[in-house]
Amino acid sequence: MSAFTGTGTLVRFILRRDRIRLTVWTLALVGTVVATIPALNDMFSTDAQRQARAALMDTPTGIVFGGPGYGLDDYQLGPMIVNELTMSMLIALAVMSILHVIRHTRAEEESGRAELLRASVLGASAQMTAALVTVSLVNLLIGGLTTLVLVGNGLETADSVAYGLGLALAGISFGAITAVCAQIVEHGRSAAGLAFLAVGVLFMSRVVGDMAEDGGNALSWLSPFAWGQQTRMFDDLRWWPLALYAVLIVVLFALTYALAKRRDLGAGLVASRPGPAGAGRLLGSTFALHLHQQRGAVVAWTAATFLFALSFGSLATEVEAMLEENPDLVAMLGNAPGDATKGFLGVMGGYVLMAASAYAAISVLRTRTEETSGRAELTLSAAVGRVRWFGNALLVSMLSSALIVVMGGLGMGLSASAALGDSSWTWTMTGAALAQLPVALLFAALAALLMGAAPRLIPLVWVWLGYSLLASMLGAILGLDEWLMNLSAFELLPKLPSEEFDAVPVAVALGAVLVVSAVALAGFRRRDLASV
Amino acid sequence: MPSTAIEVRGVDKYFGRFQALDKLDLTVRTGQVAGFLGPNGSGKSTTIRVLLGLLRADAGSVGLLGGDPWRDAVTLHRRLAYVPGDVTLWPNLTGGQAIDLLGRLRGGLDPARRKDLLSRFELDPTKKARTYSKGNRQKVALVAALASDAELLILDEPTSGLDPLMEAVFTECVLEAKAQGRTVLLSSHILSEVEKLCDTVTIIRKGRSVESGTLDDLRHLTRSAVRATVSGDARALEGADGVHNLRIDGETVTFDVDNTHMDAAMRTLTGLGIRSLVSNPPSLEELFMRHYGDELAALNGNGDGNGSAAV
Repeated sequence: MSAFTGTGTLVRFILRRDRIRLTVWTLALVGTVVATIPALNDMFSTDAQRQARAALMDTPTGIVFGGPGYGLDDYQLGPMIVNELTMSMLIALAVMSILHVIRHTRAEEESGRAELLRASVLGASAQMTAALVTVSLVNLLIGGLTTLVLVGNGLETADSVAYGLGLALAGISFGAITAVCAQIVEHGRSAAGLAFLAVGVLFMSRVVGDMAEDGGNALSWLSPFAWGQQTRMFDDLRWWPLALYAVLIVVLFALTYALAKRRDLGAGLVASRPGPAGAGRLLGSTFALHLHQQRGAVVAWTAATFLFALSFGSLATEVEAMLEENPDLVAMLGNAPGDATKGFLGVMGGYVLMAASAYAAISVLRTRTEETSGRAELTLSAAVGRVRWFGNALLVSMLSSALIVVMGGLGMGLSASAALGDSSWTWTMTGAALAQLPVALLFAALAALLMGAAPRLIPLVWVWLGYSLLASMLGAILGLDEWLMNLSAFELLPKLPSEEFDAVPVAVALGAVLVVSAVALAGFRRRDLASV
Repeated sequence: MPSTAIEVRGVDKYFGRFQALDKLDLTVRTGQVAGFLGPNGSGKSTTIRVLLGLLRADAGSVGLLGGDPWRDAVTLHRRLAYVPGDVTLWPNLTGGQAIDLLGRLRGGLDPARRKDLLSRFELDPTKKARTYSKGNRQKVALVAALASDAELLILDEPTSGLDPLMEAVFTECVLEAKAQGRTVLLSSHILSEVEKLCDTVTIIRKGRSVESGTLDDLRHLTRSAVRATVSGDARALEGADGVHNLRIDGETVTFDVDNTHMDAAMRTLTGLGIRSLVSNPPSLEELFMRHYGDELAALNGNGDGNGSAAV
């Protein structure tokens, strides 16, 4: 029996188990490409419109979400797809690949299912290999279909192949990064966190590199986010940057197998040490328990958001430098250079809010895991009221997302202050972030409502969050109607500092948070607890 | 203090269309150790969750320590401690932290008793819960429950992960709790455990209580096995009321007799001149088999191993 015995069976098993999940990912991503093309043709139908758009893509915000900007001189459909769509596709592929690899490696070990499988005729590396094979298959499928869509729309075949292949190889690289992370730590949750952090750092490295130099500097070349666009498809195609993906993937796969050999099933590379024989004085209430359970995640999310905010805020000087070079941009982005900077920082502040909202929902829904695992039953068999247990969980989630929002705003403000030499940015940005906090709290309240009153509908939280992310990031390109845009949670409140603060919607949102939370608590008080 | 710790009358509980409890009755008197017997899936854990106020009964009345467990959950829970059948703990807390946390949430535990129980159960409190086996997780919940001052202990198959040595420790602990005047509800399908510990037994089947009373009461309802050596002709017993499975081998005679007809059977035997006599009371296993025997027979009959008569 070799280390790979049974891999084929497991590959079929994973494809069967995840047939719906993987189909949805494929359809959503390829569907986005299909839907974007007519939207782009429609919105930018004349050369003048296209070149105006190209100028916008050369701004800091354009570089963050567009890329190094190859092909902007002659902004036809091909370059438009490369610049408008690639980063969103790569981020989505990264999320898909990270979740897939964790789900079929570390999460399986954690649940004990891996043990059941490994006890049968199955090679030691079969599960890891099957996860990597399937993540590669789905990335190649998405890349291949994207190529077909592009060719079908009359684009050059070679460039279309380079585009599809670039997406697929980047996705596989993210899967490979995750596989390494899964060897290092014991828990699926922390392995996913580590992988997201690594991917986030790589994204930032490309952003900073592309900002610093036209076409990117060495920092850009460190990042798999850059290599696909560096083939300059639909502009001046060169294939060799794709070889960097191949090298990275081979190295990471080899590293994964080498690390896996050095550890036991279920163990991390870092062994867990004995802990305290009794609880400290503080660990004696449900609030303390929830806080104790979440502190690692809160610290990680806050630190990550703070660091990203710091790096985005520091780009404020680049924004000013670009505006000085190109006075036309000032007219396009706002009347004064200050407005353009505000606009840039406002857009970046939106991402802090998205992170805090996602955390709010994830954090509240941990109570569902507590319930279905049976831990809530044990806790509630003690002298603990349901409203207290659930209310404290909600409180901890809301305080945590507030912390993420404040630290995100503060980080952006601090570095913008330093970069621009104007300390007032610190308070401007912190205040701007706080003014949006009710949106994150709304996600916490909605998650609590479903958990408390209708646990079967919990996926609706993800539907709204996913829709809001998609609409706010791609809505403009997809040409969404205003009412569709308004359904996005991130469009509910004015975006400071470029927009004026308005107390009415903020007060309405806070009121909604209170009412929904109260209904959630009442619902949880009334329903049966899920049986294990 | 009311003399009845648990008083369940005619409780129904549905999960969708599935009826988990069907007019269930359960009474536990204060200070008693009550056994709650039934195979997997018969509704034991559902009953316990109703008693804890985690599920709401669809019909019937539930009284716990003189209160309503759904309405007065928090005040009642100060007076009880619960050990679930399948204990899940917080993976990143150590056993010791979990014990203290549960104790504090219940309103305190006795540090001396905690220390004593940890050493008797041979539990290392410094290990993270994720590294504990099923038995060790169960010990954590047991130590937390037994170290509390709760007047009612609700234990749902508490020994299912323990080895025989630890089962013996558990038996001691329950007997001590009883000596302290605490009430214990012990759900189990381990008959010897119930027989050793319990004053009363309620047998439940498909969500319905089919038998309840003291072990002695229940024994009256069933048969004893008798083996005797007599000088006379044992065929005198043939056809006697309540005598079953009569076998005569020379002077040795064995038969089962309904306890209600024991007296008549003994008179007949005495008339035959008894030289030796052994009578075994029915074991709990026999009581149990009487209620689940048909399921077992059905299993043996069609060879279907998926039934629920796990005895």
